[in-house]
Amino acid sequence: MKKRYLYLLLAPGFLFLTLFMIIPLLLTVGSTVFRDGGFSIGIYTQFFKDAYFLDILGTTLLVSVMTTLLCIFIGFPVAYYLSKQPPRRKGIMLALAIFPLLTSSVVRSFSWMIILGKNGLVNNLLTSFGLVKEPISILYTPTAMIIGLVHLFLPLILITLVGVMESIDHDLVQAAQSLGASKLTAFRKIIFPLSIPGLIVGSILVFVGSLTAYTTPALLGGKKRVVATFLYQNAITLNDWQAASAIATIMMIITFIVIGLMNKAAAKFKPKE
Amino acid sequence: MDLLQLDNISVAYDQQYILKDFNLSIEKGHLISLLGPSGCGKTTTLRLIAGFLEATDGKFSFGGQDYTRVPINKRNFGFVFQSYALFPHMSVFDNIAFGLRQRKVKEDEIKKRVMNMLDVVSLSGFEKRFPQALSGGQRQRVAIARALVIEPDLLLFDEPLSNLDANLRVNMRVEIRRIQQELGITTVYVSHDQEECFSISDRVAVMNKGIIEQLDKPSVIFQYPKSEFVARFIGFNNFIDFQQREDEGAFHNLRSGDYQFHAAKVPGMPVSMKGAIRPDDIIAGTLQEIQPGDNVLTGKVKVSTYLGRSYQYVVVTPLGEFTVNKEMQQPYLSGQEIRLLFPSEKLVLVE
Amino acid sequence: MKNKNPGLALFTFLVYVFLLGPLVIIAVTSFEPGTVLKFPPTGFSLRWYKNIFEVDMFMSTFKTSILVSLLGNLIAILLGIPAAYALNRASFKGKETLNALFLSPLLIPGIVLGFTLLKYVVITFHIPVYAALLIGHTVIMLPFIIRVIGSSLAGFDFAIEEAALSLGSSRLSTFFKVVLPNIKSGIIASVLLAFLESFNNVDISLFMTGPGVSTLPIQMLTYVENYFDPTIAAISVLLMLITAGFMFLIERLLGLTYFTKQ
Repeated sequence: MKKRYLYLLLAPGFLFLTLFMIIPLLLTVGSTVFRDGGFSIGIYTQFFKDAYFLDILGTTLLVSVMTTLLCIFIGFPVAYYLSKQPPRRKGIMLALAIFPLLTSSVVRSFSWMIILGKNGLVNNLLTSFGLVKEPISILYTPTAMIIGLVHLFLPLILITLVGVMESIDHDLVQAAQSLGASKLTAFRKIIFPLSIPGLIVGSILVFVGSLTAYTTPALLGGKKRVVATFLYQNAITLNDWQAASAIATIMMIITFIVIGLMNKAAAKFKPKE
Repeated sequence: MDLLQLDNISVAYDQQYILKDFNLSIEKGHLISLLGPSGCGKTTTLRLIAGFLEATDGKFSFGGQDYTRVPINKRNFGFVFQSYALFPHMSVFDNIAFGLRQRKVKEDEIKKRVMNMLDVVSLSGFEKRFPQALSGGQRQRVAIARALVIEPDLLLFDEPLSNLDANLRVNMRVEIRRIQQELGITTVYVSHDQEECFSISDRVAVMNKGIIEQLDKPSVIFQYPKSEFVARFIGFNNFIDFQQREDEGAFHNLRSGDYQFHAAKVPGMPVSMKGAIRPDDIIAGTLQEIQPGDNVLTGKVKVSTYLGRSYQYVVVTPLGEFTVNKEMQQPYLSGQEIRLLFPSEKLVLVE
Repeated sequence: MKNKNPGLALFTFLVYVFLLGPLVIIAVTSFEPGTVLKFPPTGFSLRWYKNIFEVDMFMSTFKTSILVSLLGNLIAILLGIPAAYALNRASFKGKETLNALFLSPLLIPGIVLGFTLLKYVVITFHIPVYAALLIGHTVIMLPFIIRVIGSSLAGFDFAIEEAALSLGSSRLSTFFKVVLPNIKSGIIASVLLAFLESFNNVDISLFMTGPGVSTLPIQMLTYVENYFDPTIAAISVLLMLITAGFMFLIERLLGLTYFTKQ
C-alpha cells in the first residue's frame, strides 16, 4: 500500500485520540508540576505527607489487592473446572459468566446494596437464624467494596483463564501422566505453570480495574473513600482542580507501574525462545 | 512367550463400538505396527494400551499381570505423540528429566542419564534450549528421548513422523528402528503410511473397522495379502472373480467364464474364489509377444498415463478392466489390442 | 477419561450462585408492590415498571444515553475501520506503537479520562458538555472497534483482495465489495460491544453532566443515593434484558470464544 493512503487511513483516528486524550492527559500532568512559571513537585510531597490522603490510598490499595487475590483464588479452580467441561456445557457456563460482565456496574453494585444492607438479605438471614441480635454493618465498609469488586471482576479473570487453559494441549497432560505423573502432579507441573501468563494478564485487569473503579466504592463504600471517589470529590464537589489533577496523575502512574511490572513478570514466565 | 496381550477388548463411545472383541499379542523385543486408514481403530488400540482410555470390556495383560485397570502413571510405558507434546515451559533437559523426577531419581543420576539419552538421539549440546527453538525433527528426537529415558517396559508411537517433511521422515524412521533395536525395547507403532510401517516393523497388523485383518511379517503381507481389504490397501488393484476351483498338486486351477487360470498354492493362505494381483506383476505384451493360453487375457487399451519410470494402462478385457504397469520406450496406443499374462506365482487368492 | 471431582463442582456451583444470585434478587425485588425494596418481596406488582416511564428524568436520560451511544458508535466506526484496516494490512515503522495508542483508552483509568476531558475540552476549549460527552464516549468505544475488527481482519485472507484488484476492481470498491462483506460479523459485534460499553459507562459521563445533560447510569446513580424504592430494580431488569439480547447477537456473530481470546 502506498504510504500516502496509509496516513490517510490512520490520520483521523490518530488526530482524534491525540486531541481528545493525549493532549488533555499531558496538560493535566503538566499542570501539576509547572506552576507559576516554575517547576515544582510540591503538590505531591504535600499529598504524601497528608494522613487523610494516605489513608485513602491505603484503603484503595488494600481493597484492590484483596479483590485481586480473591479473584485469583476463586477464579483459578473454577476456570479449571470450566475448561474440563464438554463444549456445550462449557459454552452455557461461559455465557452465564459473561452476562454479569456486560451488565451495568450500577445495577450490579445496587444488587449488593439490597443484599448487604441493614434490612438486606444477609442480615435477615443472620437475625432469623439467631446468629446475631442486631443487624451487622457490612454495607458501607471496605468489605462491601471488596465483595462488590470481586463480583464485578471475577468474570474477567474467569474468561481469561479459561482461554489460556483451553489452549494448553491436552497431549501435554497425557505426556506427563505417561511419564509417571499423577493427575495432581500433572496439574501442578504442567497446567499451573502454563496458566501463569494468563493469570497475570487477568490479575492486571482486576487490579487496575479495582484501583480505578468508581461506581462500586461510591455505592458500597459509604463515607469510606477510595482514590477514584476522592478524585471526583475534589474535582466536582470541592472544585480543587490542582488536587484533582495530582490525584489523576498519581492514578495513572500507579496504573502504568502495575501494568509494567506485571507484564515483566508475565514475560519471565513465558516459554523462552 | 508374549509380553503383551489384549483379550476380547471392546471400546465404545456413545453406544458405538470402536473396537469389539479385539485380540492382539506382542512378543518381547518386537516392533509391531498398527496400519490402517483413519477410523480403523489403530489409535484407539494404542491409547488403550497406554492407559489414556479404558476398555468397556475385555482384559489387557502385560508381562503376565492384569493391567486393565492400572492407571497411566503407574504403567511405565513411554508414549511418543504425533504433536510431540513437549512441555513448552521446560528446557530440553527438564523435558527429558521429567519422568525421572517423578520416579525420585537422584539429580546427579538424572544428569547422567539425560546426557546419555541426548547422545543416543544425537542432540548433545541442546539441553539448555527450549522446544520453541528446535526444528521439527529435533523436537521429535527430544520426545523420543523423553519416552526412552524412563527405561519403559513398552514404547508407544502415535504417528510420530506425520508432521515431518518427506526426507526427514525417512531419516527419522531409520533412527527409530536403530534405537529400538539397540535397546531391544518392545514397541507398538501406529501409522497410516504403509511404506513407513513395512520398513521398520517386525510385524505389521493391518486394521479395518476395529479388527485386525492380517498380522504378519511385512514381506509376507506385501506378497500375500489375506483379504481383499488388505490387498487393496497395499496396492493389489486388480481382482478376478472365479466360478470354479480345483486344487491339484502345487496349483489351484481356476475358471472364470471361458478362461482358465492357475495360481500357486501358498501354505497358510486362504483358499477362495477371488484372485488379486498388483499392476506391476501383470505382464503386458503385443499379440505377437504373448500367445493365447491359460492365464492370458486379450484386451484393448483404454487409458494410458505416464508414471516416469513406466507407463500405466487401463485395459478392457472380457473379465473387466485391469490396471497394468510396464516399462517401455514406445507406449501402446489408445484402442490398441494387447495381451495380459497373469503369472501363476503372483496371482493370489484373497477372502 | 472422566474427570469427576464433586468438591470442585460444588465450589463452581457456589461461585455461580455468587455471580448470578444478586441479579436474580434484583429481578425478584423489582415486583415489590410496597415503596421499600424487600427481599423476598411482599407481593407482585408492576407499578415500578410503570413508574420508570412516568419519571421524566429516566426517560430523558435514557434518550441521551441511546443518542450518545449511537452517534459515538458511528464516529468510532468511521475512525476505527480505516485505522484497523491499515494496522492489519500494511507493515510499517511504528505500527506497534500506533496499535498500542489505539487500544490505550482501555488501560487509562476512565475516571482520569473523564476528568481531563472536563478540564481541557469543556472548560478550557469551551466545547459544549453534550459534545464533550459524545467525544468521551467515542474515545472509549474506539479500542473495542479496533480490537474486534482487527481480529476479524487478522483472519481475512488478503489474497482475496489482491484477486479482486487483479480483476480490475479499484482499491476503494474492492474494500466495499470484498473486504467489508467478509468482516461484516466482526463489525456488527464490535458495534454491539462498544454500544454496551458506552451505554453502561459511568466514569466518563460522571464529569459530563450539566444543565439538562445526563446519562441513564448517572441518573440511576443519583437516584440510588437518594431513594431506595424498587424503580432502580425495575430499570435494572429492563437493562439486563437488553444485555441478554445483545449477548445473544454477539454469540451468534463471533461465538463466545471471542471473550476467552486475548
